[in-house]
Amino acid sequence: MSCYGAGEDDDPNVLSAAIFLPIVAAVLIFALGHRLAWLATSERRLQSLATLAAAIPLVLLALAWLSFEGGGGFEQVEALEWIPTLGVGYRVGIDGLSLPLAAMTALIFVAATVYPVDLRGRGPSYFALMLFLEGASIGLFLALDLFLFFVFWDVSLVAMYFLIGAWGHGDARRSALKFFVYTFAGSLPLLLAILGIYLATDPRTFDMAQIIEQQPLAGAGLYAVLVFIGFFIGFAIKTPLVPFHTWLPPAHVDAPGPASAVLAGVLLKMGTYGFVRILMAMMPDTFAQFAFPLAVLAVVAIVYGSLVALAQTNLKRLVAYTSINHMGYVILGLAVAGAAVSGQAEAQAIALTGATVEMVAHGLITGSLFLITGSILARGSTYEITAYGGLLQRAPRLTGLTVLAAFASLGLPGLAGFVAEIQVFAGTLAVYPWLAAIGLFGIVVTAALFLRMLGAVFLGGLPERWSEFRDLGRVEAFALAGLLVFVVLIGVVPAWLLDVVDSFAGPFVGR
Amino acid sequence: MIAVILPLLPVVGAGALLLLRDRARLVGVVAVATLLLTLALATAGAVAQPSFSWAWSPMIQTRLAVEGFGRPMAVLVPLIAAPIVAYAAATEDDGRRRLLALLLAFVGAMLLLVSAADFLTLLIGWELVGFVSWALIGHRWRDPDAVRSAAQAFVTTRVGDLGLFVAAGMTFAATGSFALTGLAEADRGTLSVIAAGVLLAAAAKSAQLPFSPWLFAAMAGPTPVSALLHSATLVAAGAYLLIRLGPELAAVTWFLPAVAAVGISTALAGGVVALVQTDAKRALAGSTSAQYGLMFVAVGAGSVAAAGAQLVTHAAFKSLLFLGAGVAVHATGSGWLGGLRLGRALPRVALLSAVGALALAAVPPLGAAWSKERILAATVEASPWLGAGVLIASLLTALYAARYQLLAFGPPEAGTTVAQRYRPGAAELASLTILASVTLLFSAVWLPDGERFVASMTEGALEAGAAWETAASAALIAVGFVLAWQLFRRRRLLTLGLPDRFQAAAADWLGLPTATHAMIVRPIEALALALARLDDRVIDAGVRGVAWLARSLSAVLSIRGEWTFDGVVRGLAALTLGTARASRATDDLGVDAAVEAGARGVGVAGEASRRLQTGESHHYFVIIAVGLAVMLGVLLWSR
Repeated sequence: MSCYGAGEDDDPNVLSAAIFLPIVAAVLIFALGHRLAWLATSERRLQSLATLAAAIPLVLLALAWLSFEGGGGFEQVEALEWIPTLGVGYRVGIDGLSLPLAAMTALIFVAATVYPVDLRGRGPSYFALMLFLEGASIGLFLALDLFLFFVFWDVSLVAMYFLIGAWGHGDARRSALKFFVYTFAGSLPLLLAILGIYLATDPRTFDMAQIIEQQPLAGAGLYAVLVFIGFFIGFAIKTPLVPFHTWLPPAHVDAPGPASAVLAGVLLKMGTYGFVRILMAMMPDTFAQFAFPLAVLAVVAIVYGSLVALAQTNLKRLVAYTSINHMGYVILGLAVAGAAVSGQAEAQAIALTGATVEMVAHGLITGSLFLITGSILARGSTYEITAYGGLLQRAPRLTGLTVLAAFASLGLPGLAGFVAEIQVFAGTLAVYPWLAAIGLFGIVVTAALFLRMLGAVFLGGLPERWSEFRDLGRVEAFALAGLLVFVVLIGVVPAWLLDVVDSFAGPFVGR
Repeated sequence: MIAVILPLLPVVGAGALLLLRDRARLVGVVAVATLLLTLALATAGAVAQPSFSWAWSPMIQTRLAVEGFGRPMAVLVPLIAAPIVAYAAATEDDGRRRLLALLLAFVGAMLLLVSAADFLTLLIGWELVGFVSWALIGHRWRDPDAVRSAAQAFVTTRVGDLGLFVAAGMTFAATGSFALTGLAEADRGTLSVIAAGVLLAAAAKSAQLPFSPWLFAAMAGPTPVSALLHSATLVAAGAYLLIRLGPELAAVTWFLPAVAAVGISTALAGGVVALVQTDAKRALAGSTSAQYGLMFVAVGAGSVAAAGAQLVTHAAFKSLLFLGAGVAVHATGSGWLGGLRLGRALPRVALLSAVGALALAAVPPLGAAWSKERILAATVEASPWLGAGVLIASLLTALYAARYQLLAFGPPEAGTTVAQRYRPGAAELASLTILASVTLLFSAVWLPDGERFVASMTEGALEAGAAWETAASAALIAVGFVLAWQLFRRRRLLTLGLPDRFQAAAADWLGLPTATHAMIVRPIEALALALARLDDRVIDAGVRGVAWLARSLSAVLSIRGEWTFDGVVRGLAALTLGTARASRATDDLGVDAAVEAGARGVGVAGEASRRLQTGESHHYFVIIAVGLAVMLGVLLWSR
């Protein structure tokens, strides 16, 4: 296990606790939620308890962040034998890529769990699923074993399916089914690809760190390409990359606000995380072969996502399509970082840092925007933008937080999105200047569509029917502020995040 | 440290305002005091030239520095903003606290912009200035027109921001850093791209052709907002950028001619717009584009010093003119130039505005006349055609300056009584007086040391004009004045005797906004709509495809019986088994069980998939979850 970095013997089990404590809490809430009178009678009590449980990983990951050394390589590794005959192990650890993603995941889950939602009398199941999903999602980012990664990948799908199907609205079942079938269809090639890479290892192992060290598919030709395609389909569906995105809008529109926030904020990142952790790290040569077409696809996603979003009249679909646009920035940064060019290590490092920060920023920003749409739906019962107007008059808090989130999403400096996008574009301009120039078009369209949305929903005259529109409640405002404060913090003083990400990105591109 | 505190101070003041009670005097005093403090700090900074470096990440260094042309700009911004903010506090009752806070934030963002020593910080300041202007233009947010105009201004200038994105990115790509000083290292091709980006950004921000119309939209904001954004902030940013980077980018052969071409065409077109506009504030807006066009011409002719002098003098007299127009609109309730002529009703305001109008027309010994003369000298040196263009622009300027002053503050028509009895308050008059004094104060540039001072502040050299140039421009100014006076007396100054339709089109940038809308905005919206429809159809097709697949699958299964499906399951099981075998030849019971459980899981999933049509699909997922749990259980047990 020499390939693991420092910190192996440090205070153990913090990471495992961050994964399994919410799962244990989920089981307890599911088992006892209906039986214990003091829980069953008060949804608020239940929600508070669940939020406390959801906050545990956040605290634990903050501790992990504090003791993170950033020497490159995996830290705070916890490893157990699991199925030694197959080389399967329970291995978790952090580096400059997974730590920010896991911490962002924990933060989003706290906000999503505490956020008011119509529980439809099934509170215990809802919170149990949320907590279970939190554990699984954090587990996915911390997993250092492909088998473990795949287990978390699939169980997270199941939990999200139920959250959409049971607590969604509109045609929720159909949307949930579409989400499940589509992304599950992506799991199969992913599984085959994992097996494919596993079979090439010698000695056989699912250990990510060892596979990265072995580079089993270097020079494997067609075999490597097939494995690449398997991974690519799985990750591209999850990200989602145009044209694999069609499951996303219905799933978002019909999902309850907090589930949407988790779906966009956390689950989409599993795809982009897979691109880096597996495709780029384990088979860099094959990735470099496909870097240019991938960058083209990313630019298509950037432009296409922003244009389709511009035409939306449904608030939630609008936000959903901007997600496709933002995931395009991530993939563009990754393609640049993985491209086979020489002498551009700085630009590639900056692109990789930018892509990673975009994952975090998009999670926080779009998570906030989806929570906001949930609040608007709860008050106005429709997502139609034209139905609203002048809400600033009744709801200054809601307006202020939405303006902040919208401007963050359109990449205003001083907020997190800009820190990501400028780095992605600076890197891309060095490697694929023309693609960067086309992609910049998306920045203007995003600005136009968000300003139009803000104008139509919050400014102008207040229609009579909204004269009693309620402003955000205290819990909603705090939950959103909790996410957006990090958006501002990353935007104004990015060093605390960029230093951590750079400890991964710099060595990764061989700077 | 001064370099950091300077842009932060107004922002902190803005935050403090929001905590105060919304009383006119209280918030006004706090806001103006903040700006005076900022002014003092900026003056100290301009002398001490502080700088401050700050790491974003191991790869990205940013630096704030009060240096180069940033020094006079840092002083200019709070100097002009302070009287404007005092005026705003006295006149704007609707959302006063928010307005003042935003104006302070505007100043902070502009100070960040002018003290940026690298492209990244520059871009941050650049876009923040744009964001605050969005909020300021949309200040009257209940009015849908204001909201639309704010969005138009932001989106148009953001098109230009892309240029700065490209310039920043290319600089990093070429030098591995964002520093402005790195331009010297960039190769010619890269520098060419950077120059294009900088020109695009500057032209959009400074309302040059073809972006000029957004400045009309910006009129939707309150008057003090216009006064500030036309003079020392926002619009000034474009010219500032060119003055700062022009000398470095001059190595690109096409750059200076292109800057001059953009400038001269805007100077002439803007002059025409200002001349035919019948709205007081829009006439001033047209002149803003034209005056910035002259700064572009100066940069293009190689004299950043003349451009810098023009920027500074323009800031003082244009803010003065705007506040004067604000009083006129306040007094009459309309900005229509046909119905003002407030010379008698507002004698003091008329006098103060006249100072601004004379400066605009470049009448010596005002400072603005000095900078115009230097611009002319530089352009004649560079190209006679350009010089001729500047001379025509001078004539236009004298004409529209005189026209504006006569129509807005000229003597009323004989026989009309002075109906309004609006008396501007002390704060309004004081603001106007201060700005007029600053305008007059800039006349000091004619003093013997003035030339050297300007040269040192702009880090550029100045051409002294030939005698005939001075005489020619003086003659043109005189011609303009006489012509305007004659037209005024014959009551044809408002329409200039032009046909209505031509006049209306010319006043609205010769139809440019309509053309932009038809040729750019509408096609993009149509494309967006078409793509959205396509996307919906693809979704539908996808859904239909899945449904069809499921239907056919179940049909096939019901005909062929179970074997097909079993075959698939067996195949998968065999694959998994093969994998297991390949890994190790040991046929240990746990693995077998695990694999078989996995196969069973696939089996039940396949079984359930036939129920996709039955609406009981949730069973399917329960079963999968159970199957997974069983599989996990077996795997765990096998350890």
